[in-house]
Amino acid sequence: MKKKLNAYLLAGLIITGALLLLTLIGAFHTPHDPNAMDSLAKFQRPGAGHVFGTDNFGRDIFSRVLKGSGTTLAIALATVAIGAVFGTLVGALTGYFGGIVDDALMRLNDALTAFPSILLALLVISLVGPGKYNVVLALGLVFIPSFARVTRTAFASLRDVNYITSARLMGASNLRILAVHMLPNTMRVLLPAITIGFNNAVLAEASMSFLGIGVTPPDASLGYMLSEAQSMFARAPWYALCTGGVIALLVFGAGLIGEGLQKMDREVA
Amino acid sequence: MKYALKRILTLLLTMLLVSFLTFAAFELISGDPAQTILGTEATPELLAALREEMGLNRPFLTRYISWLAGFFSGNLGISYRYRIPVWELIAPKLEVTFWMCVVSFVLITVISIPLAVWSYRFVGGPLDFVRTAFNQLCMAVPTFFVGILMSWLFGIVLRLFVPGDFPDLHTDFGAALGHLFFAAVCLSIPRIAMTVRMMRSTVIGEMQKAYVRTAISRGNDRRAVLERHVLKNSLTSAVTFLGQTMAELVGGSVVVEQVFGIPGLGRLLVASISTRDYPVVEALVVILAFWVVLAGTVADLVNQQIDPRLRLGGDA
Repeated sequence: MKKKLNAYLLAGLIITGALLLLTLIGAFHTPHDPNAMDSLAKFQRPGAGHVFGTDNFGRDIFSRVLKGSGTTLAIALATVAIGAVFGTLVGALTGYFGGIVDDALMRLNDALTAFPSILLALLVISLVGPGKYNVVLALGLVFIPSFARVTRTAFASLRDVNYITSARLMGASNLRILAVHMLPNTMRVLLPAITIGFNNAVLAEASMSFLGIGVTPPDASLGYMLSEAQSMFARAPWYALCTGGVIALLVFGAGLIGEGLQKMDREVA
Repeated sequence: MKYALKRILTLLLTMLLVSFLTFAAFELISGDPAQTILGTEATPELLAALREEMGLNRPFLTRYISWLAGFFSGNLGISYRYRIPVWELIAPKLEVTFWMCVVSFVLITVISIPLAVWSYRFVGGPLDFVRTAFNQLCMAVPTFFVGILMSWLFGIVLRLFVPGDFPDLHTDFGAALGHLFFAAVCLSIPRIAMTVRMMRSTVIGEMQKAYVRTAISRGNDRRAVLERHVLKNSLTSAVTFLGQTMAELVGGSVVVEQVFGIPGLGRLLVASISTRDYPVVEALVVILAFWVVLAGTVADLVNQQIDPRLRLGGDA
């Protein structure tokens, strides 16, 4: 199997890598204190002192964006991790063993995936209340069914493949077959699903925080900052533009990686 | 006909399941509604009286059934916050969101399908990368960000509509639709990108099939084959996808209504969640779920009419 980096993958990795690096640096060091107010430096345009300008309290927007994207990324990654791990678990068990449990779980899955993801997340939030951990919980739960569906198909299609039958004849346990022989072969569907899930998570978290039912202060995610930015768009358009731009770049980068992975997969096949 | 009946039965069963889960979830977590309404200072006698009045003393299943019956009689309970019947609160907003989704749906259908066919020309060419990147970009920009930019440009600068001041749907339908149009455009952009992407890969897949090779080797030109045969065969996936789109639009409307200040279901939902107005949230969730499941069912039934092969197999 020959793997060649294609343009999509490369461009996506560069964008995402750069953003991750910046966010990582931002977690330890920001050029200004993101919460320090400066009444003399209100509504400053982007320039040498403040790369992205300042907001209505004179806070440095670049530093705030760095912190905010840290929150957004952490939530998105945690969400995808929950969705992918539990989803794959459900997908593996139902796809491999089949039977009544499979039928029942897939019915439930159909009912759940029928909902737009943000609606389900809102429902969970309305029951447990807002806050960053609850957002992770809500979105994580919401993402399990879609991962389960994708991996179930992959596991089910591998069930009767020759090398699996051979492994079974050689006395390999079900656990070993699932984890060692099947899991690596589901990566070609799992990886693109993870990039799509990541994008949905970023957008969903941003939407929820934008609506005021996601991350609550003092935590600030990019979506929450955009809702602040909307109210002062006429005075400081750069606030909304920089924040929205970073969200778009995050999703764009991951989208390109997903596109690249799928293209690579098609070329190999 | 048998298939249609089966499909409608599934729809009803799904809705029963969804409504039960919703009711049970709220029952489990929302606590005592009487306490919520009267506050912590209420005397036990008052609480007991209100519970009696609201019928909270009845068993769980009885209450579920009478709540479910409310969807048919229009009696969905009283909003905690506004103290008016939930249905009166929901009905006018339902109309607004409905029209916004319809406008958006029309935009998506009318733009994305021709665009997908047109973009098929670039397959494999040097422009393919640009096209794909642009497509990904359209999906990447959050709708509320586009919404902020659009309501600033069209609302504040060009003054084509007044953000937050939504005309009455009944007295001034044209103006209301004009206001909704901008929100609908904003709502459509990422979905158009997704539909184009999906349609394009369907067309590419279809063009590799044997009947296309046959048609072309008989001397038909590619374009005619594409328009006469391939599009017809891609139609069922398009319909399924558009059915999902109808469902996704409802989710997207929650955000877009907030940005454009449109008094629709999404805004009501967000407001009700923030104020823990559970009767409203409960009713909205079931109504939106019904919308979603209905869209899927309609798409399946349409497909069954379009493609006779699906009628033979029964299950598609």
